[in-house]
Amino acid sequence: MPTMPWWSQEVGPMYEFVIALLVGVSAFFLLLVGIIIISKGWREIVEARLRLRRAELEPGFFKYAVGKEALEKYLPRPIHRSERVLVERIFFEMGRVVKGSVRERARDAFEKLGFVDHYLANLESRRWWTRAEAAEKLGLMGSEKATRSLIDHMNDPVPEVRVRVARALGNIRTSEALRPLTLALKDPGRWSAIRVAGILIGAGDESVEILLQEFDHFPQHAKISAIDIFGRIRSLKAISLLRDLLKHQDADIRARAAFALGSIGDPTSASHLGDALKDPAWFVRAMAAKALGRLKEEGSIEALCTSLADPQWWVRANAAEALKNKGERGMSALLAMLDSKDTYAAQQAVQMLQESGVLDSMIARLASEEGRERQLALDVMAKLVKLKRTDLLTEIAHNHPEGSIRQRLAIILGLRVQPHPTA
Amino acid sequence: MRQFLIDAIIVFNDFVLVYFLSLNTIYFLLFLVSLVEVLKFIKRTFFSDYQQILQSDMTWPISILVPAHNEEKNIVETVRSLQLVNYSEFEIIVINDDSTDRTLRNLVDAFDLRRLDKVYKRSIPTRPVRGIYGSLTHQNLTVIDKERGGKSDALNTGINMARFPLFCSVDADSIIEDNALLRVVKPFMEHPAEMVAVGGIVRIANGCEVHEGRVSKIHLPPRALPILQVVEYLRAFLTGRIGWSVMRSLLIISGAFGLYKKSEVIEVGGYDSESDTEDLELVVRLHENCRRKKMKYRIVFVPDPVCWTEVPNTFQILRRQRNRWHRGLLQSLWRHRRMLLNPRYGVIGLVAFPYFVIFEMLGPFIELTGYISVPLAWYLGILNLQFFILFFALAVLYGVFLSVAAVLLEEISFRRYPGWLDLARLMVYAVLENFGYRQILSAFKVKAFYDFVRRRRGWGEMKRRGFGKRSPA
Repeated sequence: MPTMPWWSQEVGPMYEFVIALLVGVSAFFLLLVGIIIISKGWREIVEARLRLRRAELEPGFFKYAVGKEALEKYLPRPIHRSERVLVERIFFEMGRVVKGSVRERARDAFEKLGFVDHYLANLESRRWWTRAEAAEKLGLMGSEKATRSLIDHMNDPVPEVRVRVARALGNIRTSEALRPLTLALKDPGRWSAIRVAGILIGAGDESVEILLQEFDHFPQHAKISAIDIFGRIRSLKAISLLRDLLKHQDADIRARAAFALGSIGDPTSASHLGDALKDPAWFVRAMAAKALGRLKEEGSIEALCTSLADPQWWVRANAAEALKNKGERGMSALLAMLDSKDTYAAQQAVQMLQESGVLDSMIARLASEEGRERQLALDVMAKLVKLKRTDLLTEIAHNHPEGSIRQRLAIILGLRVQPHPTA
Repeated sequence: MRQFLIDAIIVFNDFVLVYFLSLNTIYFLLFLVSLVEVLKFIKRTFFSDYQQILQSDMTWPISILVPAHNEEKNIVETVRSLQLVNYSEFEIIVINDDSTDRTLRNLVDAFDLRRLDKVYKRSIPTRPVRGIYGSLTHQNLTVIDKERGGKSDALNTGINMARFPLFCSVDADSIIEDNALLRVVKPFMEHPAEMVAVGGIVRIANGCEVHEGRVSKIHLPPRALPILQVVEYLRAFLTGRIGWSVMRSLLIISGAFGLYKKSEVIEVGGYDSESDTEDLELVVRLHENCRRKKMKYRIVFVPDPVCWTEVPNTFQILRRQRNRWHRGLLQSLWRHRRMLLNPRYGVIGLVAFPYFVIFEMLGPFIELTGYISVPLAWYLGILNLQFFILFFALAVLYGVFLSVAAVLLEEISFRRYPGWLDLARLMVYAVLENFGYRQILSAFKVKAFYDFVRRRRGWGEMKRRGFGKRSPA
């Protein structure tokens, strides 16, 4: 008879251990099931209660918003402390759709009901999320009473709170808040920068003044954010700085400055951007080409044609796109580029001519009764054949509804003439 | 011989107990880590200004890549759903990998496409492209028709064509939610220099109502097999991937939905056409490359951006799918075996790789050997039935506990299945999966190991029914 191992004995430490485990896991399992059921049930009860109370109180809030009396006059009963969330929700929703005096009435109600004081106290909480929520709510309430405390919290150790505070100050829109807000751009996270930038853009030209004053003191990432803000606001005041920045030692800054100049759209920046097309960093050249595409001027067409032969694909692609945006003269330049000795440039030009529909109009001219028009179209087609960029032509040769065009294209492409598929 | 068998079973059972305790301890720790992370995530979600990402010029544009092979049933619906995605600047690139059905024709007809002579940069070598299609009316849509090269090759072609710095791979049989891109891009906005890849959660669309490219009503599938997979996916994503992501050792970003920094992917040569699970292989190579460069990097999972996909509804298709998944895992583990227990690869080499080798690779063998050893022990007269029942009950209860824990995470966070009936069904199937389903999956994995050793490859056919008004079970 072999010696019995531990797991085959009736009673032993391992046996007891497994039983203990079984009991422990069962207890945990029951706990989980209990939590799931209770949390789901509780949530449904709370939501149902809120729905009922909302139906009861909401009409009173709307009457208050458009009326002149104090809030108590319009409500069927006093508001309980537990109904704060509901009251906030109704007012915030109202604030989203209605502006002006309704927002002021809501703000007065928040102050009188003690909500502003409540969140001001929460702003001092030890928990960062409580402080962040308080800042958020104070911003939505729009009470100027909170401005000083919010400014003090611009130095909060937690970035999320700082961003919320910045946003709240942006919502309150006091000019006092703008300088601390611009300083919040110094936070290294792109996420923070995006949100702070959003607020500053909302403040418009007023923030440009402060950003211009602070610009030299900013670290590199904040400079980039500030440049983006200038572009988004389309601030004419920033043009001179942006042109200077095209010569900055940092290539990222040069690239963003080029992009911002394009967003502002001032045609007098074209020559500066034209110079940037020769920048040693390819992404600066790419941004300059993109920016030139946004300017309503034609002086840069020649420089853009040269960029179609740039060694970097992105620069070529942006230059072609820019030429497409230049209207008729840009298109003519693209057509002329079909003769370029640089294959890349010619291919890029073909793509843009196809994407912009210019090639379709050329194909339509094949059926023109005017000899010169037809010849021009035939020349373009011949160039495409020479460049071996005939995918679109081949498809049209098979599917075009007009027989004469199908026939001409088939001859150009050396295809057998086919009947139209729907014929 | 008898004595040898008895000794072997004794040693094996000792080993099983240690193995069982270690595995379940890891699972439990993963659950705890995930619980904390989900609670933090809920808090963070309150502070998420997705609208600002949407409006900002500083948000990175995204190229969405959709590889398609014989996807005529879903492809138009998928592209339509992608066009409705809430994001400021994006392009959609569908790569038709030599479909033999009407995939390309349906796209051409639905979006008024025509062949264009597009110029693009061939950063990664791929099979030849037959044609590139674009439309004057849908400017951000490009369709590439290419020779057959498999999903990896199709994705690599898409990467070559992509214009933007981030690309998102989406399966052609999947639907991503409106805000999914905004949510999945957020980690890139928070850590632009370090972020390399972000994965989103994949949920099961079988049984859901799909209307105009959107999942309009969420239901559990009516049939058992897809529900079992719902429970499995919840456990895998909500406890597994969140936990691994927190530990910075996420090895899998689902091919159905992931966002990558293009430059990093090009640097590792793109997707590997030799692998059966190109998604896993890519993530492993990204880890390897970043660790080798000693760069500070992040590859994370975000449980919020949702991608809906159809899962197999027959055991035959499920077998093929799981066979491929497991074979792919084994291929990657074998190919990157130098990372195993190599301190140079940090937590990936010292924790994630050993876990995958010991528990994912060997687990199915140990489980099946366990099932065989029980009747053998009974035959040899060394089985204590009472203890066996207790141990089996413990194993089942633990499995149920982990599945219910995943349901709890779902319930406290995302609550995609709002009805009581759905919740009750999830709980019931969390119990049922331990009786048959789990064992069948283990058998599939053992077969996959055999196929791996025999160097059998291939995807096998995955039949789709397509998203109808109500997606079938």
